[in-house]
Amino acid sequence: MLSALLLIPFIGGLALLLLPSSLPPTRMRAIALVFLTLQLLVAVALLIPFDPSNGGPQLQESFSWISSIGLDYRLAVDGLSLPLVLINAALTLVSAVCTRQISQRPRLYFSMLLLISGAVNGAFLADNLLLFVIFYELELIPLWLLIAVWGGANRAYASTKFLIFTAISGFLILAAFLGLAFVSGSVNFDITPALTDQLPVVTQLVLLITLLIGFGIKIPLAPFHVWLPDAHTQASTPVSVMLAGVLLKLGTYGLIRFCLGLFPDVWPLIAPSLAIWAAISVLYGSLAAIAQRDMKRMVAFSSVGHMGYVLLAAAAATPTALLGSVFQMVSHGVISALLFLLVGIVYRKTGTRDLEVLRGLLNPERGLPFTGTLMILGVMASAGLPGMAGFISEFLVFRGSIQAFPLATLLCIVGSGLTAVYFLLLVNRAFFGRLAVTPKSDPVEDGRLDVQLLPVAPRETVPALALALSVVGIGILPSGLARISDSATQLLSQLHGGLG
Amino acid sequence: MLLALPWATGLVKRNGPRPAAYFNLLLTMAGVIHGSVLLSWVEQNGAVLLEWPWFNAAGLELNIGFDLTLTNLAALEFVTIMSLLGQFFALGYLDKEWSLARFYALLGFFEGAMAGVVLSSNLFLSYFVLEMLTLSTYLLVGFWYAQPLVVTAARDAFLTKRVGDVLLLMSLVALSAWAGSLDFEDLYTWVGQVRVDGSISPLLETLIALGLIAGPMGKCAQFPMHLWLDEAMEGPNPASILRNSAVVTCGALVLLKVMPLLQLSPVAIDVLLIIGTISALGGALVAISQVDIKRAFSYGTTSYLGLVFIAIAMQQPVVAVLLLFAHGLAKALIFMSVGSVIATTNCQDITELGGLGPRMPATTTSYLVASAGLTGLLPLGCFWCFGLLIDGLNSSAPWLVPVVLITNGLTAFNLVRVFRQVFLDTPHPKTRRTPEVNWFMALPMVSLAVLVLLVPLVFRSIYSTPSLDTVSSSSVSLVVLSGALGALAGSLVPLDKFWSRSVLKPLRTVQDLLAYDFYTERFYRSTIVAFVGFIARMTDAFDRQVVNRLVNRIGSASLVSAEGLKLAVSGQTQSYVLTVLLAIVLLLSGLIWWRVA
Repeated sequence: MLSALLLIPFIGGLALLLLPSSLPPTRMRAIALVFLTLQLLVAVALLIPFDPSNGGPQLQESFSWISSIGLDYRLAVDGLSLPLVLINAALTLVSAVCTRQISQRPRLYFSMLLLISGAVNGAFLADNLLLFVIFYELELIPLWLLIAVWGGANRAYASTKFLIFTAISGFLILAAFLGLAFVSGSVNFDITPALTDQLPVVTQLVLLITLLIGFGIKIPLAPFHVWLPDAHTQASTPVSVMLAGVLLKLGTYGLIRFCLGLFPDVWPLIAPSLAIWAAISVLYGSLAAIAQRDMKRMVAFSSVGHMGYVLLAAAAATPTALLGSVFQMVSHGVISALLFLLVGIVYRKTGTRDLEVLRGLLNPERGLPFTGTLMILGVMASAGLPGMAGFISEFLVFRGSIQAFPLATLLCIVGSGLTAVYFLLLVNRAFFGRLAVTPKSDPVEDGRLDVQLLPVAPRETVPALALALSVVGIGILPSGLARISDSATQLLSQLHGGLG
Repeated sequence: MLLALPWATGLVKRNGPRPAAYFNLLLTMAGVIHGSVLLSWVEQNGAVLLEWPWFNAAGLELNIGFDLTLTNLAALEFVTIMSLLGQFFALGYLDKEWSLARFYALLGFFEGAMAGVVLSSNLFLSYFVLEMLTLSTYLLVGFWYAQPLVVTAARDAFLTKRVGDVLLLMSLVALSAWAGSLDFEDLYTWVGQVRVDGSISPLLETLIALGLIAGPMGKCAQFPMHLWLDEAMEGPNPASILRNSAVVTCGALVLLKVMPLLQLSPVAIDVLLIIGTISALGGALVAISQVDIKRAFSYGTTSYLGLVFIAIAMQQPVVAVLLLFAHGLAKALIFMSVGSVIATTNCQDITELGGLGPRMPATTTSYLVASAGLTGLLPLGCFWCFGLLIDGLNSSAPWLVPVVLITNGLTAFNLVRVFRQVFLDTPHPKTRRTPEVNWFMALPMVSLAVLVLLVPLVFRSIYSTPSLDTVSSSSVSLVVLSGALGALAGSLVPLDKFWSRSVLKPLRTVQDLLAYDFYTERFYRSTIVAFVGFIARMTDAFDRQVVNRLVNRIGSASLVSAEGLKLAVSGQTQSYVLTVLLAIVLLLSGLIWWRVA
């Protein structure tokens, strides 16, 4: 069953590559959609055999592959990875659905998309350190291509930056895993805290910090975030959706699964510094977001801020905080995907994402009223307003962390307040006001926007609407997700019994 | 169920404006009737607590709970009736508005949130719905989003309230962690326990208590978070009616519910008193120098809520509730009559209005009734509240008595001043042809006027203790005296243009100071806003100049090779695949070699 989650996208990707390139793009897209729908169905079907009361890995599948080096093909799912697998399946589908009019190399594009989705599934499901690294690396190149080939004007710079950063990240993680296996004398790269049992503290610290930096680049946490805003601004909308919604979660997943899960002994030693790091990252991301003019950069910096909460939760390692971190991953995935979709619609209709230029898009006759409505919903969710996914996530994280790290938690709450500031600026500038009026220093020709925007077809907003509904759904009925992840996060935090 | 009713209206938004409005009205009416049935039921059978589990995981239990007590239900009745009247009023006021349906959908949302606030039995739910209230206020204020002033007003309303909410969230999170439960009842017992055993540090106690104050402070538009209410007057008037009466009441009710928790910290009580005093006096002073007819009264709201804060800080919850109701009704009536004036004349500047009295009898009468209800001069609602308040303060904190009296006097002054200018005076160009408003607006206005007149009777029937008869005659005479003085001053003060912005430098300075609200807005702009903006720009510059550049430097070596890669970007797919495969093969063979060796 789990292997199906890998096989479907991989086979789909290969099949697309083998198709004749003369096939019309719409046909390619249709084939990709079929595979992705299938993948989503399988992912949802996982909920049936999945036993929420069992916190450990389940539904294992394994066969030995290259056992001489400890690389076994072993998959398993637990309450931590299942929500992320679901998000991955859903968002890849969304991003394929919202890919329209791809004129350039559609074959490669869709197969890369499928490949990423499969690799991400593999990374989430891998029950072996090396297997994780392989999938983690496998996702880099397709994403690099997606940015480098289908990106904006400055795509070469952005994609190279992305590649260098994430390659370093991958390298650090691999080095840490190999080092871990080497010093512990383990032969099978199992994911178990027993690996670090006998190691001296210094060795553990070195390995842990290497891993933290590796995942910190991917998450990304300040100051390793510089690749993200560039990558987002240059990537096309569907790629941004994937990047923000799914790929960043690889970092946070790794943080919790490997950093937190493998080093229970030394974790308490560095947890206080991590909490401070989290607070800095949150404030840094939020403050930098306030100063942005480009909507996409703003949303990208908001990701830096919001991912900081996950680090805070991991540092506290209480059951509530860890559950909150799963919520935060899921809700950030959905919300940021929603925001990028909407920014994408605005960009397509107006040709700009500049907040100094955009005005009055909420205009019911000539503007983008429905997009605006969804945008208000999205930014409010991101700002953590109750009734939407962001609130319960943040509440759980803060509630779980405040006793362990009061100051860092309070700073993070301030960061959550700042989120409201910059997103309100976004809505106020771009959507409120009068449509025809543009300010003086206007880079757009004639100093005026085209005031008769093309209407947004309903099918363009369907993916955004679906995401918006799920944002509200999670916000109003969070118990479902909690049931999936509760035992897993409990188990993980028992590892850290003393803390919190 | 009661809560879900108004919310459901969002669904019919698309079916054309009018049906949505009628549907919303019907639902609100159903809410009022349901509420009153419930009220009489609870009166006979005692309070009921309804609770549903909402979220239960990781040792955290969050419930949706409604506490159906007499006070809460009475407040609910107040909210729904206000909403009903306001919505009816809006039918007339927003007659030609193209997005009437959106207005009603938002109003329904708004009303649902308020109903949630007054009924909620735990702090979590209170916070939840308070934020909904913040959101709906933002959307309602921003209703006419094409106007620049509205945009800033909506932003300020949201952010000010959000500051309060974030502070409240901090307290909420802390309380949830240390007290273990967020039900008000549990929290009360917890506070009692903490006061005995002192299990948490005094600093923490103080911070928690201050955070708890901050939320309601923003909602009740208290100094220094009062700016939004004034700016929010840019929004549609029917929403202003609700904001000035019902919303601030909701905020104060939350404060009432957390009042026992404030026992944690004497500092918090002092802060509450100081804020209340400053708001009461400052609001009243600023109000008398406004020329915008809506703003003249919105500052009055700040001022009265300041008095409510004082009452709460002095542990007089009953007086606080009575004052809230009396003020809410009267203030709503004032805003209806003001709304009628604006709807008829399309003008909000009182210096351009005049002589409306004979032309708009119903509006004028309503204004007079509301003024009487608002000031302590005639024995209507606020009169008794002031009496009770002063009686209570006499024994505990006599230095606060003048605050109440001065506020009363200034309010009377303000009301009389505006009355003279708008309703008496000679007709101005804009007020020559001013017919009375249509019945959509007149009906709710007149019914509310009747309600305001009935307030003392309602007080008498609901609250037997403290009885209104116990108010000492000295307090009564003080109140009457202050009201009469204010009214007298208001009727004597010259209203001509020369006087309204005096040529005398010192006087003009004072007038300007008040007219510009102690320059609060400018103060904020040059401090907090500038500060956050500065930090944000610094962070951004740091990000671009330092972090990014550093990274680029470090990466420049690899960038050289990356240049080579860049050229290969649109090259053959096969080569990429080959690279990946090659890397994997190399890695694996390396590993095998290491294992074997």
